[in-house]
Amino acid sequence: MNFIWDNIFRKAKDADLRAVLTENILFKDLASREISFLEKVVHIRTFHAGETVFRQGEVGVGMYLIMKGRVEIFVSDPLAPSEDLREIFITQLGFGDFFGELSLVEEKGRRTASAVAREESVLIGFFKPDLMEILARSPGTGVKIMFRLAEVLGRRLKETTDKVSELRSALKELRAPPPLDEYDGKASGHSSS
Amino acid sequence: MEKLQVTLRRERRLKLIAVSLIILSLIVIILAVPNMLISFVLAFVMNYLISPVVDILERSRIPREYAILIPFFAAAGLIIFGIVQVLPLVSDQLALLEKQLPTYQVDFVNLIGRTETRFKTFFNLYNIHASEDLNAWLMKKTAEFSAGIPAVVSASLTVSILAPLFAFFMLQDGRQVIRSILQIVPNDYFEMALNLQHRINDQLGGFVRARFIEAAIVGMVVWIGLAIMGFPYAALLGIFAAVTNLIPYIGPIIGAVPAVIIALISEQARVVDPLSLNLFIVTSIYLLAQLIDIIFIIPFLVARIVNLHPVTVIVVIIIGAEVMGILGMVISIPVASVLKLTLSTFYDHLSKARH
Repeated sequence: MNFIWDNIFRKAKDADLRAVLTENILFKDLASREISFLEKVVHIRTFHAGETVFRQGEVGVGMYLIMKGRVEIFVSDPLAPSEDLREIFITQLGFGDFFGELSLVEEKGRRTASAVAREESVLIGFFKPDLMEILARSPGTGVKIMFRLAEVLGRRLKETTDKVSELRSALKELRAPPPLDEYDGKASGHSSS
Repeated sequence: MEKLQVTLRRERRLKLIAVSLIILSLIVIILAVPNMLISFVLAFVMNYLISPVVDILERSRIPREYAILIPFFAAAGLIIFGIVQVLPLVSDQLALLEKQLPTYQVDFVNLIGRTETRFKTFFNLYNIHASEDLNAWLMKKTAEFSAGIPAVVSASLTVSILAPLFAFFMLQDGRQVIRSILQIVPNDYFEMALNLQHRINDQLGGFVRARFIEAAIVGMVVWIGLAIMGFPYAALLGIFAAVTNLIPYIGPIIGAVPAVIIALISEQARVVDPLSLNLFIVTSIYLLAQLIDIIFIIPFLVARIVNLHPVTVIVVIIIGAEVMGILGMVISIPVASVLKLTLSTFYDHLSKARH
């Protein structure tokens, strides 16, 4: 009976794989035929709850899409005063989310954060060699993916720039001396006490 | 948490053992089974030469199965056409060579004998019998060669069937086989293994294609040059120069030896001075081929792919020659560059963060 269950399981898994790929922004422009090609190129990896997907500082060669489970992203701060504060939680990702896409275009890029599976997770790995293979065998498909990838990276850059501007103005506010009247008020208050 | 670590460690160990066993058994089969190594090397060469064509055909929406068959049939057709066209030429030249070989052998021994006599008149101290020794050596080698022919023919037949068969399956199912092996690689090492496999494939492919183009150009230059000057066996010598050019450093010299000997003997028969015009032109053609190779082909094609220090290259070739003879010399550089790539990839992936 085992083979029947195996088959059913595989079909369900394939359907999930196709759903995740079709829904993902990077592969949004791909035709059904191209998605079928992509399905044969990507890698399905299973992670136990608590297992590390990748560590900060490691060489990364590609991105992961979540097909099942949850993944938490951490950044480690070596200058933190205590062991408890060393790991800074960034976000939690679930079904359909993706992470690590910057590694697809970086030369010997190192991971800027760590990813840990929070429950039994199934991830779809899409790596630089896979992208190269697509570009060699079906350049049209490769260009569509690259264009979307550039869009995602551009959006991330914009978000980062906005965040930097926000932080810069907050820093400016913190550094600026308090207004004169406030100073006077405080001084008079102090003298009155 | 502790339980998870134990499970992960056990799983990782099991997977690593499985992957290592698969790779080790492949290596053992290739090295232990007769004709397997040469068949695999040739299959890899065919695979790397044909795969860009397959990719181009696949881009025009031809299904991969057909995209593989087309270059295979085209190559087979080309080889048959080449054999039909070139074989009479080569076999004529071979027949001529066979007829004249004893004369060449005698003339060559005589040449050495005369040089020896001249040498002895200058240095009476040493009692050298180079011509006799050489004659005995040549007789022994010729006998060995004749005795070895049946074994060589049967091995060539096996290789000529196995190599294209392996190449076909490498092109057809190679990616799937690699994916299946990668699937059992533990998560910790998966990205590294995938990246390493891709980079090795890339480097070997580039190397094989570059060396093939290099050999073809050298062979063509020698063939055309010798044919223009009306030298005997131009086609044969061109092919020989192309094939021996694959052996690093000493290959080009080996490739030139037969032509130089023929030129020397032909000249010796007529004129006494060995540095005649004929020998000079023959040597110039081979030098020209090597100059084109060194100035244009190696810097633009080969050196970009193999990133090894010249001293390393020499050491590696010596080791290759010691372990596996001529085949060892031919495959020593790609094997060494793959080893270097593997070590640097391991180092990059396993070293700690650099920021």
